[in-house]
Amino acid sequence: MLRKHENTDSWKAGFLAITVHLLLLGAMLVSFNWKAAHPVLNVTEVELWDKLPSTKPTIQVTPKPEPKAIVEEKPEPKPEPEQPKVDIALENKKKELEQQAKIELEKKKKVELAKKIAQQMREEDLQNNKAAEKQANIDREKALNKLQQDLLNENSGADTKTASAANASIIGEYTEKIKAKIRGNVNKILCADGNPELRFDIGLLPTGELSGPPKLVKSSGSAACDDAVERAIAASQPLPLPSDPAIYVKFRSLNLRFKPNE
Amino acid sequence: MNAENDMSLLSLISGASLPVQLVMLILLMTSLFSWWYIFIKVATIKRAETESEDFENKFWSGGDLNKLYESVTAGRRKPQGMASIFEAGFKEFIRHKQQGRMEVSDVMEGSRRAMRAAYNRELDDLDAHLPFLASVGSVSPYIGLFGTVWGIMNSFRGLSSVAQATLSQVAPGIAEALIATAIGLFAAIPAVIAYNRFASSVDRLSVRYESFMEEFTNILQRKS
Repeated sequence: MLRKHENTDSWKAGFLAITVHLLLLGAMLVSFNWKAAHPVLNVTEVELWDKLPSTKPTIQVTPKPEPKAIVEEKPEPKPEPEQPKVDIALENKKKELEQQAKIELEKKKKVELAKKIAQQMREEDLQNNKAAEKQANIDREKALNKLQQDLLNENSGADTKTASAANASIIGEYTEKIKAKIRGNVNKILCADGNPELRFDIGLLPTGELSGPPKLVKSSGSAACDDAVERAIAASQPLPLPSDPAIYVKFRSLNLRFKPNE
Repeated sequence: MNAENDMSLLSLISGASLPVQLVMLILLMTSLFSWWYIFIKVATIKRAETESEDFENKFWSGGDLNKLYESVTAGRRKPQGMASIFEAGFKEFIRHKQQGRMEVSDVMEGSRRAMRAAYNRELDDLDAHLPFLASVGSVSPYIGLFGTVWGIMNSFRGLSSVAQATLSQVAPGIAEALIATAIGLFAAIPAVIAYNRFASSVDRLSVRYESFMEEFTNILQRKS
């Protein structure tokens, strides 16, 4: 493979070649973030809101207060009554003056009255608006409360709606599947004695991953066994879930009764 | 979540299917060898250039050719590059001269042939390993691509067997498959660059040798 005159360089060249490869490997290890980040959480949050039943009252529509009707009813000055022609100019003038004065007075009064009315109306309007807003707020709060209540109901699993038989069977099937998967991962040596029963509260994402650490509700009596089961739950992600989102809702928070030695 | 251990480089490689692993191994070996040859060739070509430079300086300094010949052949190691061409030509020339009663043109022809042979040997040494670099440069991307395609095929086949297809089910497979392409490219790019550089250096050296041969022939002709 090598010529005679190349033998002198071969060791140095081989060393350099290996150095180059190690450099590249180091660069790859340093520059890439080889840990996988799971941005699943955000996605699931969006999906959660998708699943809300459409029968819920839409709350976002707030009654928009009507624009203030600006009442600028300027009373029209009354048309001057036709002055009867009187022969005497003086008298005529006097009368006219008197009339004018009267009219002006009247006008002033009317304008003031109109202003007052307008002011009153404006105030009334404002009050009305406030009242409407208050009403809207109350409505919104009510709707929110109702929504929260609904959500709570769903979350606690104590849904008043009776699930259909088919749903129940699917739920049972998947619960069994989840248990079977977890059971496969439990270190049985740690839960050897007897047939202890554990109860865990676990929250599940639609992907089958845990939304949080499993909460131990009822211990088996042995801390090692509890830890083993908890580790097994974490290790069996993703857990099998039904593809139907309506049934998934029941799995969002799951009360798992688990016997490792069954 | 088991995020820590599913994407490390080592687990990506060990999780790949056997053909992909084989492809990676082959590519790693070719890459190692091509870099090895690259460094060897850098050293040898550099040495050939400095040696021919030195020899030309000595040759054109106007010393006696016999003395130069002795100094070239005196060294323990075989003369190389231009010196070996000179040695071959001058040895042939002296032999013919010692035999006497030969035509000048025959003597010239003989020494020329000897120089040509030495030149070819030198050029062969200079050209060594260049074909290897050329084929690494052209073939290793394809090998890497083959590994990648194989890996992606596998990961998609696995995808078809699950009901709910998510990207995270294919992503590791594709990532591990793409490592093969990365290694292939890492082997190919330096090989191509090195091949082009070495080819041009060898060309320049061969032109230098040839012109030296012509000039030396003239000198010998004048001497005879």
